[in-house]
Amino acid sequence: MLEQIQLRAFIFLVCLVAFSCSSSERLENNSSADKGSDSYFILEPIELFIPGDPLINFHIAFRTGAIDDPVQKDGLNALTALMVARGGTKTISYEEITGMLYSWSASITVQSDKEMTTLIGHVHRDHLEPFYGILRDLIISPGFNESDFKRNKDFLTNAVVSTLRGNNDEELGKQALNTLMYQGHPYGVPEIGTEMGLGAITLDDVRAFYGRQYTRDNLLVGIAGGYPSGFGDRVASDIGGPNGLPDGNSDFPTLETPRTLKDIELLIVEKQSIATAISIGFPLDITRSEDDFFALLVANSYFGEHRTFNGLLMNKMRGERGLNYGDYSYIENFIQDGGSRFPVANIPRRQQFFSIWIRPVPHHNAHFALKQALYELRMLVEDGITEQDFEITREFLLNYSNLYVQTSNRRLGYMMDSHFYESNYYINEIQARLPLLTVDVVNAAINRHLQYKNLAVAVVTTNASEFRDKLLTNDLSTPRYNTQVSDQILSEDEKIISYELAINPDSLQIVPVEELFREAR
Amino acid sequence: MIKHNLCLLLASIIVVGCGAGQNADEVFSYPVSVFELSNGLKVVAVDYNSPGIVAYYTIVRTGSRNEVEAGFSGYAHFFEHMMFRGTKKYPTKVYNKVIKQMGADSNAFTTDDWTAYHIVASSDSLEKIVEIESDRFLNLKYSEEDFKTEAGAILGEYNLNFSNPVALLREKLYDRAFLFHPYKHTTIGLVGDIQNMPNHYDYSLEFYDRYYRPNNSIIVVVGDFDQIKLKNLVEQYYGTWESRDFVPNIPVEPPQTRERTDSVTWPNPTLPFIMLGYHVPAFSDQAIDVPALDVFSQLLFSEASPLFRKLYLEEQVVDLLSGGVVDHRDAPLFTIIARITDSERIDYVRDSIIEEIERLKIELIDSSVLADTKSHMRYTFAMGLDNPSNIAEMMGHYLQLTEDPETVNRVYQLYDSVSPKDIKQVAITYFFETNRTVIVLKQEGQ
Repeated sequence: MLEQIQLRAFIFLVCLVAFSCSSSERLENNSSADKGSDSYFILEPIELFIPGDPLINFHIAFRTGAIDDPVQKDGLNALTALMVARGGTKTISYEEITGMLYSWSASITVQSDKEMTTLIGHVHRDHLEPFYGILRDLIISPGFNESDFKRNKDFLTNAVVSTLRGNNDEELGKQALNTLMYQGHPYGVPEIGTEMGLGAITLDDVRAFYGRQYTRDNLLVGIAGGYPSGFGDRVASDIGGPNGLPDGNSDFPTLETPRTLKDIELLIVEKQSIATAISIGFPLDITRSEDDFFALLVANSYFGEHRTFNGLLMNKMRGERGLNYGDYSYIENFIQDGGSRFPVANIPRRQQFFSIWIRPVPHHNAHFALKQALYELRMLVEDGITEQDFEITREFLLNYSNLYVQTSNRRLGYMMDSHFYESNYYINEIQARLPLLTVDVVNAAINRHLQYKNLAVAVVTTNASEFRDKLLTNDLSTPRYNTQVSDQILSEDEKIISYELAINPDSLQIVPVEELFREAR
Repeated sequence: MIKHNLCLLLASIIVVGCGAGQNADEVFSYPVSVFELSNGLKVVAVDYNSPGIVAYYTIVRTGSRNEVEAGFSGYAHFFEHMMFRGTKKYPTKVYNKVIKQMGADSNAFTTDDWTAYHIVASSDSLEKIVEIESDRFLNLKYSEEDFKTEAGAILGEYNLNFSNPVALLREKLYDRAFLFHPYKHTTIGLVGDIQNMPNHYDYSLEFYDRYYRPNNSIIVVVGDFDQIKLKNLVEQYYGTWESRDFVPNIPVEPPQTRERTDSVTWPNPTLPFIMLGYHVPAFSDQAIDVPALDVFSQLLFSEASPLFRKLYLEEQVVDLLSGGVVDHRDAPLFTIIARITDSERIDYVRDSIIEEIERLKIELIDSSVLADTKSHMRYTFAMGLDNPSNIAEMMGHYLQLTEDPETVNRVYQLYDSVSPKDIKQVAITYFFETNRTVIVLKQEGQ
């Protein structure tokens, strides 16, 4: 057997968001068509028909997310999503469903983010009809029984109190950054909720939330693969038609602007750890909907492309100095899709953020690593990128972006995201826009949207007070290397060591890990 | 120049054939071509409809299994990192620039038995891929300073893995279950050995010399490309790679004679875990045992299994339950892991798992349940082959075991033939007390 067993355990422990040829395309380049008022629902499903493909992928998306969690009920969206995808229907129990899905090797999973929740179904065409019947009934006629409720609620609670707090420092650092960066903002709570928020949720809360949020107005149907002619319309009609979900409120809640960060604000999470995990970020004022996003795409790829040696951070911090395993940056929320290096689709947001992910660094080099990342960010903002770096990075992205969509499942996800952003198909946008960019346009976009002065920084480490003192005293924190490094690196280090971070002492918090994500919003 | 041409002649293709995919009933039905250079380098090419995209995998049949000397655990993985440290022609920065210009998705991974280097890129880049990949396999050259610097990245990888208690649990299980075989240590290595890596530059060169050889490597290419062109390129660029026969002295693990149990603690918030391991045989595409064990693992631990339903759905005493064996060249462990929702129920979960195994020693599995299980496995396999990279990795997995592209179809033929009696037999043969190791992980102070 291949390594599926280990993979299952891995997914379970690290993935907190996702639970669990010629082609013809509809709406690929017309995603905002026929939306009707403010409703998210469109009459036609988003389709990616691939003749002969034995697989069929369903993405049934709802414009509902953690921002819709009521006060004191953090995690209600995530729990409702689990109750739909990993519960039974009114007539078939979850146990019976798992038995059927198993023999077909079909799956129904759900991923829930801040503003979007998507049920994702995979099935071989041999089992399309019975599978579809189950998927449809889970959505329009969920069972919501007590046993499934207890199991799913415990699963989420354990994900917070055990997995997040104690089993994955990197994910903990990212969630801590989110909490700090979006303090007082609807994005500021983990998608999976808080300990007390989850504790307060009842099955009636789930039923009520489902009634409010799983409506025709919030729905977007996507289907890809070798399905029969007319099948996409049937799915849209069954779920979004008169016999499907009810009409709902088509007004999406407005989203306030995130608070303004002042200097460098820090949240230090104290726990036993063998190394220090660091995440840095600040809210961005653009998304894929804006022209400047594509210029920033180039700048970010140059600075910190995810898990490649293309990024400056990766080369300078890992490649030249061996500080840690990797260092990357992002201009939108990024969750790696399984073992690939590509982002998952169907987690679009109206507001995005810039972030730097510094993978765990030995404690003695952690302060230096933070300084270096911020120093390199300052250099990027002040100096921009060169013509040569611009050209090669643009060339990279034009080729690499084609690899984002090697499967119909991923391609469908991007098509649906484009509907959210009211833009053309994302990959086509990259292909069309990047050739029109110039280095000056990219550097102007860096100037408009990136900065290095007002930042949120989350640190997960063992000796929090020692780390705090280093920050507040601007300790030199000379790095310790395994080997003698070049004069060029030493010269750069001198500048980094003497780089004084403008820490905001009033906003520096130390929080024991047991207290993080405890209180409800 | 003359010497180069002579080598090319000597490296002429000695085998050309077609492999899997000739029979419509076979689970893997894509056309496969195989050829081999005279230096022993085998190339397996799979024609797959991925317009404009090709996956190029280089498989080295070396993993942490080969780390036989004390104090040198983790070197197969460390060496995987060093392969990105450049050559005279393509120093690191130049290599990275070429990869970047291609827009390639490039990385590598190491397991107990093998190491894989993979690139997915535009088909137009095939010649460049062959050139730069062959260059680093033939001409890798790195300084001692680079070597020591990379050791920091290895420690960083260890650090991020070990913020997860499962890494600690697994490390302890293998350490206790094996006395002599290198499977005793995990692929990333022991932390003391990792911290000592910067002092062993010379050993790394010896490691390269021993194992990075054409007769220990296989190239797998999947996707949209010209087969003839590929053949010519491989001859051109890999022809001068010299073979070497190095056979590591891998200790044979004696049979376990008594149950081994142990526990570890975790300093941070966590639910308790339990992990069990049973010694089972090495992979074979001829014997029924390993395929029967794969089916057995599904019967015990899939979401449709009685045990999963009892512990996960009904009693809700676990929120993770999984088990199985990964194919290995030497006899590995069949491992079972559970995360337990109530720290008072650890023994109960362990006993429930063992009771279910005992049941399968007595009762014959219902034939319809067995049929559903086989259906699941076959569909899972077919549905996973949806891009060139997945296919290349799957082929790489079987090729590193047997060097034969037909293995995948033989394995699935064996799955088809697994009977209720085979399930009962593997339960009796391998799942007994003295062959078992059990490790429990609890939060410190609980």
